[in-house]
Amino acid sequence: MLKLKNVSKAYGKGAIKAVDNISLDIRPGEIFGFLGPNGAGKTTTIKMIVGLLKPDEGVITIDNVNVWEEPLKAKSMISFVPDNPEIYDRLKGIEYLNFIADMYGVSKEDRRRKMDYYLDLFNIKDAVGDIIASYSHGMKQKLVLTSALLSDPKLFILDEPMVGLDPKSAFNLKEIMRKMCDGGRTVFFSTHVLEVAEKLCDRIAIINKGKIIALGTMEELRNSAERSQSLENIFLELTE
Amino acid sequence: MNKILSLIKTDFNTTFGLSSIAYSIKNKKNRWQLILFGIAMLSLIPSYILIVKSLSGMYDIYAQIGQKSMFLLTGFLASQILVFIFGLLYVMSKYYFSNDLAHLVPLPIKPSYIIGSKFVTLMVSEYLTSLPIILPFIIIYGTKNGEGPLYWIYSLLLIIFLPIIPLVLASIVVMIFMKYTNIGARKDLIRTVTAILFLIAMIYIQLQIQTIAQKSLVQGSDFLVNLIKDSNLLVKKLGVSFPPSQWAALTLANTSNLIGIINLLTFIGVAIITFILMIFLSEYLFFDGLIGNIEVSASKGRGKKIDTSDLSRETKPYVALAKKELIMLFKTPVYLLNAVGGVIIFPLILAFTNISGGDESLSKTIEMLSVDMGYIALACIGFISALGLINNIGSTTFSREGKCFWIQRTLPIRIEDQILGRLLSSLAVQVLGILALLVSLLFIVKLDLLSIILIIVMGLLGSIPTTQIGMAIDILRPMLDWDNPQRAMKQNLNVLISLAVGALYLGGLVFLTIKIIDKFYLSFIYGLIAVIFILSSIILFKVLKVLISKQFEQLE
Repeated sequence: MLKLKNVSKAYGKGAIKAVDNISLDIRPGEIFGFLGPNGAGKTTTIKMIVGLLKPDEGVITIDNVNVWEEPLKAKSMISFVPDNPEIYDRLKGIEYLNFIADMYGVSKEDRRRKMDYYLDLFNIKDAVGDIIASYSHGMKQKLVLTSALLSDPKLFILDEPMVGLDPKSAFNLKEIMRKMCDGGRTVFFSTHVLEVAEKLCDRIAIINKGKIIALGTMEELRNSAERSQSLENIFLELTE
Repeated sequence: MNKILSLIKTDFNTTFGLSSIAYSIKNKKNRWQLILFGIAMLSLIPSYILIVKSLSGMYDIYAQIGQKSMFLLTGFLASQILVFIFGLLYVMSKYYFSNDLAHLVPLPIKPSYIIGSKFVTLMVSEYLTSLPIILPFIIIYGTKNGEGPLYWIYSLLLIIFLPIIPLVLASIVVMIFMKYTNIGARKDLIRTVTAILFLIAMIYIQLQIQTIAQKSLVQGSDFLVNLIKDSNLLVKKLGVSFPPSQWAALTLANTSNLIGIINLLTFIGVAIITFILMIFLSEYLFFDGLIGNIEVSASKGRGKKIDTSDLSRETKPYVALAKKELIMLFKTPVYLLNAVGGVIIFPLILAFTNISGGDESLSKTIEMLSVDMGYIALACIGFISALGLINNIGSTTFSREGKCFWIQRTLPIRIEDQILGRLLSSLAVQVLGILALLVSLLFIVKLDLLSIILIIVMGLLGSIPTTQIGMAIDILRPMLDWDNPQRAMKQNLNVLISLAVGALYLGGLVFLTIKIIDKFYLSFIYGLIAVIFILSSIILFKVLKVLISKQFEQLE
């Protein structure tokens, strides 16, 4: 589904390699967790996948479509939720949702059904008539999540999605991710919440200083670690 | 004292982006952009020289009637009034709508410290407005008059203190205004409407004062005698509309005697006193207008059930984009005032000058010369096309995305839709400008239906390339890192560069028209201009397609 082949990105005349020759192959129907300490290269990698940052080297494909050669085709398969929900704060919630749906060409019937479902689920249905500037951080996050789900993306990419969500919404989001994958969709997300990664992900990659230092199912990671232990201990051991 | 110095330093750094400029210079990729920008600024020089030359002619006229000081007054009035008008907008957004307030207000510092530090940065920005205007006046007067060193020392002092009084006035007006309009859910709308009315009223009053002063001047039978007796007569009479400018002009016109130093001390003294007064007032006014201003009434979802089936509509991507642009333009006060306010105010000023102009009004002139309606329509088309530049919508369309730019770049939007949607939003605002112009024209000439149709159709056609020029410049170096919408529009150099490039384009067209106007039928000229508009729109569309797809890929 999502393939990264020898992808690199450097900042400041190539002095600092933010992402250093990484390759990943994420399969359809998989929930893939992307872990790493602050500044390890998680967000840089995600930005390269969604078209915000051009890789210096390497190829990124989604369903065999090269993200940087056929951007429109690739982008219509992805939905992206950034770590900081900066959105048009002078629009009303509903205006933002309609705007995003128009860009993906979601039919009227589809968008009505999905809006009803997700707005109810995230408990922001009564707020969509207000302007976004009046929303709390969490409400904005929920609106961005809803907008990202309207197009029923083949690949759902999230950067730190749990930050700012209340426990119930975080639970709901996890359910949504699970359901999407059961329906053959793919989810790729970065997180610092190791517990979520441990319970939810089919496979996990740990990135440190721009390099993938561990990759596999939870079971595989445990086996490769020196002592059989929790993800937290594995993480701490590997990223030391 | 340390606190205020630190505040000023930080505000300076963030406002002028010193750290980020340093970063850009280090970054090789950005360096050519800076160079390109420098070249663009240099391209402004020829038109500036032209203006300065005509100013020199203006000096000669005043010198002939023995009222050289009037030349200085014109310069000081023009620069101080502009500082005041820009000041109103700058003060509003810098004191009340910038994002750093959310960090500053909770800090243990007095309101006057915040205002004081913001005032200092504003003053420096205002030098950018005042210097290009006042310098030619001072230099022309000084060199042509062969003034001594004292003149230049006085000039330096005047230039330094020049923005203070108008900016203090702007600050006080805005603080009072914000305090008493900080009410209700529709305060943005209330404020915008009041502000536009205020600006119109001010222009009107200014024009009235000028006319009354002019009339009273000429009416007396001993006018000519007085004119010869007192070489500062005009300044004394016409300076009443803004006394500080009068003081400044009298200072420089009397460097050799006591009147000069007295006026200089008055100018500086009043500047300092009003500044202190403003700082004192800020303790009482500032927070009242600010608190609850940052907060939009929190969304509680007050039981107002939203039925998504009524609200979800399917629209074409470019229409949706245009709609989003328009909502943002109309709901952000700074954008509303600059973009929408601009296209409405300019035509209205035309009407006002005509109404208050008396015998020398435009309508009388047109009547006297019995100008062909076709020429008037032609001029209107040029005016509307120029509004396409002045509305700043094209030249800030990407900059205004700011931190939300990621949305545009991650969505599957065709480049064609990007261009079309943004163009449509500008044209929608242009329609308002055309309406305002047509209404203003009612007061000046009787237009026939054909001319009205020509103005509407050709005006919109001409607005397409002028908007596209702005868009092309904006996508080359979009200013995305702002914390205050004001910066995306008023402190965005793309606006200036677009104006320069657009002026070249329109200037070329005007030049061409003047060259051929008496050689061909008017209808042929209309046809030719239409063809040029359409061709340049198509060419610019193609250029934009390349630029946008390249920049969407490469921006970081």
